[in-house]
Amino acid sequence: MVRSKASSKKQQKKGIDFKKIKRKLGRKLPPPKNATNTEIKSKAIVLPEQSVATNKEGLAVSKKGLTLKELLQQTSHHNAKVRRDALMGIKDLVINHPAELRHHRYAVIEKLRERISDDDKVVREALYQLFKSEIFPGCAEDNQGLFISLLMNYIFNAMTNLAIDIRLMAFKFFDLVVQYYPPCFSLYAEKILQSYEDILRKNQFYLEDKGKLKTTLSGLVRCLSLLPSKKPESEKCVSGDRIIHAFEPDTPTANTGFSTIIKKLKELVLVLINCFQDFIPLLNSMPQLDVLSFDCILSMLQSIDIAVRFFIYGIHEETPESICDQTLSSALSKKLLGVFPLYPKHHLSVKEDDRYFILNVVIAAIFLHLRELVCPSTNVFEKFLEFIENALLGTICSSSRSGKATWEKHIPLLLPFIPKLASELETGWQSRILESFTRTFKDCNPESSLKLACLSMIEEMLIPRGYMHFSKASDTVVLDYQTVWIRELPLLLSLLGDKQPSSSQVVLCLLLRLGQFSGSNPFLFGEYENIQFTLSEFYSTCQEGNLYYGPFMRLPRDCQELSICCLYYFSNLNVLLLKSVTFCCLCSELEPFIFFRIIEVLHAAYKAGHIQIADHISFFMTLLSRFKILPENICPVRESDVKVSNHGTFKSLTTMLSSYLSQIGDSSVVFHIVEKAILGLILLQPPLENACAMLRVLIVLDSKPTRLSEQSIIALSNFLPGYLMDVVHCIPEDDVQTWRYYILPCFFMFDRSSKLLKLVLDVIGSFLTDSNLSLPSDTSTRYATDSLSRINATISLLLLIYKDVKVQKIISSFRTEIGSILQSIASLQSSEVKMTLEERHRFQSSVLEKTFSPCEDGGEQPRGRSSFGGNIEKIQGLANSGGNCLSQILQNCNGIFEREKGVQEFVHYITLLEHHVK
Amino acid sequence: MNVVLASSSIDGGIGCWDLQTGAEQLRYKTCASPPHGLASIGCRFLACSQLRDPSAASGHVLYWSWSKPQAQVKSFPAEPIKPLAGNSEGSYIVGGGSSGDIYFWEVATGRLLKKWHAHYRAVTCLVFSDDDSLLISGSEDGCVRVWSLFMIFDDVRKQQASHLYEYSFTEHTLRVTDIVMGYGGGNAIIVSASEDRTCKVWSLSRGRLLRNVVFPSIIDAIAIDPGEHVFYAGGRDGKIYIAALNVESTPSNNYGLHIIGSLTDQSKPVTCLAYSAERNLLLSGSEDGMIRVWDVKTKNILRMFRHSKGPVNNILVVRLPYLLSRAEPKVQASSRRNEFSLHPPLEKYANSSDEDMDNRAIITLPDTIDLPSYLSSQLINDHIKQLQQQGSSAAAEMEVKRLKLDGQRSMEMFQQLKKVYDNLQEFCVNELLDGQAIEGSKGK
Repeated sequence: MVRSKASSKKQQKKGIDFKKIKRKLGRKLPPPKNATNTEIKSKAIVLPEQSVATNKEGLAVSKKGLTLKELLQQTSHHNAKVRRDALMGIKDLVINHPAELRHHRYAVIEKLRERISDDDKVVREALYQLFKSEIFPGCAEDNQGLFISLLMNYIFNAMTNLAIDIRLMAFKFFDLVVQYYPPCFSLYAEKILQSYEDILRKNQFYLEDKGKLKTTLSGLVRCLSLLPSKKPESEKCVSGDRIIHAFEPDTPTANTGFSTIIKKLKELVLVLINCFQDFIPLLNSMPQLDVLSFDCILSMLQSIDIAVRFFIYGIHEETPESICDQTLSSALSKKLLGVFPLYPKHHLSVKEDDRYFILNVVIAAIFLHLRELVCPSTNVFEKFLEFIENALLGTICSSSRSGKATWEKHIPLLLPFIPKLASELETGWQSRILESFTRTFKDCNPESSLKLACLSMIEEMLIPRGYMHFSKASDTVVLDYQTVWIRELPLLLSLLGDKQPSSSQVVLCLLLRLGQFSGSNPFLFGEYENIQFTLSEFYSTCQEGNLYYGPFMRLPRDCQELSICCLYYFSNLNVLLLKSVTFCCLCSELEPFIFFRIIEVLHAAYKAGHIQIADHISFFMTLLSRFKILPENICPVRESDVKVSNHGTFKSLTTMLSSYLSQIGDSSVVFHIVEKAILGLILLQPPLENACAMLRVLIVLDSKPTRLSEQSIIALSNFLPGYLMDVVHCIPEDDVQTWRYYILPCFFMFDRSSKLLKLVLDVIGSFLTDSNLSLPSDTSTRYATDSLSRINATISLLLLIYKDVKVQKIISSFRTEIGSILQSIASLQSSEVKMTLEERHRFQSSVLEKTFSPCEDGGEQPRGRSSFGGNIEKIQGLANSGGNCLSQILQNCNGIFEREKGVQEFVHYITLLEHHVK
Repeated sequence: MNVVLASSSIDGGIGCWDLQTGAEQLRYKTCASPPHGLASIGCRFLACSQLRDPSAASGHVLYWSWSKPQAQVKSFPAEPIKPLAGNSEGSYIVGGGSSGDIYFWEVATGRLLKKWHAHYRAVTCLVFSDDDSLLISGSEDGCVRVWSLFMIFDDVRKQQASHLYEYSFTEHTLRVTDIVMGYGGGNAIIVSASEDRTCKVWSLSRGRLLRNVVFPSIIDAIAIDPGEHVFYAGGRDGKIYIAALNVESTPSNNYGLHIIGSLTDQSKPVTCLAYSAERNLLLSGSEDGMIRVWDVKTKNILRMFRHSKGPVNNILVVRLPYLLSRAEPKVQASSRRNEFSLHPPLEKYANSSDEDMDNRAIITLPDTIDLPSYLSSQLINDHIKQLQQQGSSAAAEMEVKRLKLDGQRSMEMFQQLKKVYDNLQEFCVNELLDGQAIEGSKGK
């Protein structure tokens, strides 16, 4: 089009060169009336979606069927009601479709933040609720820094709004932000403090609306409590599963920007003090202190307290002295401390007393902090000391239950100053303060947090950390109280019982620290030693023959471990405590882990010289002889019973104790001590397991040839036959492992002393004589009591002996003894008088069974010969027992032994035997 | 030559074996040491504190030179000393007393430079960091403390500070039995073992607990692998457990979290461990008096040394000085003179009359003389005095060195002159020959 126009113009110019064309300016011909308008105009056609027909499927909608986009648009509607409804709609939507918020959170924030300074109160409130309940919790894990920065400008804007309501609401919003994202305070600290200062300066408003002032002030307290302080509790984070040499990213330390705000904070404190001062006349005029004004005053005082603490202990470049200059300190001391103590004008209610008490406590805390910098005059100081004393004694607070609760809650605020006061004051006040502290400690509920606070103060006063030095003159006063505290600790443990393991743990920790520290202080050393008597109740007590277990048994494992560790530090563990610990050890409910731990720690204590050797050995012996094995009888030691049985524990106990005993010192000396103890115990006929354990300990300490004395060999020879027969009687033949465990110690002894073997064989032989069998009162065996089982036992015992190569070698030199045993068996068989026919039959069949069964597999064993020989010998003895000549039998036996006959021989004897039985 | 040294709580002397060949060397006599009581002082001589009966008021520390079985120097400190340690150069000895005091002696003079109250109960082990600036001590009260020697010797800062130690780790509940330190000076990790059945790993740079490993039995000895991948813990149940330092271990194994395996052979308790980095060997001493040498990779025993009947409680792997291992009598004689005539016994008390003298340490650059490079100024003053008198051996040595240097210089001069002369001669000869040639051609 353009082109054609241009070309037509050219042509015109060419043709009519110098022709003047007259044209009328300013006038145009009107278009002809019949001309058609060819212009085409178009307009965008907006078809509002037809709500019924629009396809909103797959989109998240609110209850009213609106999408998030629509709702956001509606939030800027001019009608407040619509705006509120939109906010409610968003809330509704987000609850049902959390993903929606996650995807569009920045869009949502960008739109919603405009509403922070909304004119309508209801809308703001709805917005606040929306943020509080949905948006902040929903976006908790995201990149919050960016998120918050989107909001902050609008909040600051609102904070400077003319309308006081909007401003207050902005503080409320900010409070919310700080709750969810604490670092934001440090980022904007200066600005925020400025805003707080501004609003608090407007003093006319707070007297009117205390409710709003309260929320503002509580927000301030929250912000200020984020200020870094130098006294952080040592964070105990043992992150176990991290890699040790790993790179650690530098987390930005939050306290970098705080040095700059000191000036602002100082101004804020001054404003707060003025604010407080304005309240005082109000209080006096009011009939009583209502909750709102109380909360306001409390928040103010708390803010001042936090600020003062920051000035003094905080991490910043300026020295505390330079901050607390004349203006601040004079303002503080005149306007704040001057009105101390606050007291009710009209005694109306108990509650009011408590409220005043709380305020006074906070003021006292501020004063005590300030004392670090500004030395107060004596009478002011004494006023406070008096208050502290009375507060600790609980005389100010009402005696009602709520009053007691308030007292317990707020007294811990004053406690941290006690150690410092106690170390600095002169004797008179020192003893008064310590006395009242001790009363508090004793009186308060053992399970309360106040008790814990007291305990940590006691720890500080007992165990110096370098900076505490009690002056020499006051030593006696302090020592008196220290004694009281220390003596209180075991009682406290008993009081606590197992109700609150965490408190018990704190007490035990303190005891442990005390024990560790006590080495260097002769006074504490003595006191710590004295605890033993009371501490023994913690483990167990024995009264009139009855045993009562203390809390120790019921506490969780870590508490138990701590209390065991305490035992290590007694430089001379007394017998009473050792006894009560031993009772705990013997209790079957004690976990094996703790059981072994006790033994381990006590042995370590012995090694460090804290337990006398006699006590230590008798502790071991008691464990060995009195440990109760479950189930009582040894027979059913099967895999299925492992759960209930503690055989395994006892076995490992035996090995543990024998290795400890061998470590104690020169083995021959130890052996002589242990020998005496064990023989004394063994003659009391303990259960088989315990006897076996003692024998095992004995052989571990013994050497070859034996160190056993003559007397003990004789004593053992009286005990062992019964023991052996019991073992054989009780343990089934095929349970090789078990009988080896029980009999091996005896074999070791036989190996080391053949004299013992001879004596034992003699005794076994004498068992089988008629006279002994008929005596029912013989108690050398516990299980194999009747004659039948005794003979059975003897035979299987001999079989076992013959199975063992080593013992068999030794026994070959005791043929006469074996012979006499066999003879007695034989004669027993022949003496038919005492046995009925049935009995006899039973006996013989059992003998047969016993002798055959090992023989059959014995033939296949590599060392089958020995068992073979033994069996043949006995079978022969039995076979010929019908009154044949004994010497001949014996000769035959020996012959078989030496010539090593084969299976034929064996078969021959069996037939012989069979013949005889018939 | 790497040798293994071992001592026992029962008098069996100090056994000494060649680690390579297994041949037994000289046995140093009369020594009953407490755990951690044996120390090689800068590889120049052996020092060992002695167990005494509890009633004895004073301690007993013995020195042996490498070449003689009898103890050469005996000292009697003010109280029984249990652990001993020397810094890497052997200029200082530190001892831990049974009252919890730590004693700091200078080897060359025997003076007690410092003594401070370190623990509430007896000190059980002492370890120097590899840069010698930190001292780590463990005690019966379960406390592990880190001391900076700069702080110990800085009287001004000492008074300002509320405590002397850098860190005090109190998480152990019972006696600390062993401490080892990793590499990296102030950034290293330390591992401490205690009778409470745990080993704890601490960071020196951050001063906090990094890891707590609970073992199935009490750990009496630990050794750290040079790569710091694992550490070895010898238990009272006779096993040597391997605990991971780097890897995240699976919680479902036999022994517990972080324990990845064990070396077992014996039922007797393991009492001490040492690691020889040269061939990756782990040495373990046990209650039955044997020293086992383990190949860490294959977990096999390569060699066993029998020390005595009683428990072995100290093992050291020491690289003997080259001169000594060559065993030339002449050289030994001279080195012994260097070593031993210099070392007086350790003093009992800090000498108050010395207080006014300056006992600041002077740090010299390491030089060729085999004297330690950290010396107190007093010692250096003594040396200067000796030099002035021209009487001492060191002075003579220096004179010899100077003469040698002179001789060398003369030789150089001679060579130079000779070269010049040669050049001159060559030049002359050439000239002459050339001249003759010209004349000859002229004559032709």
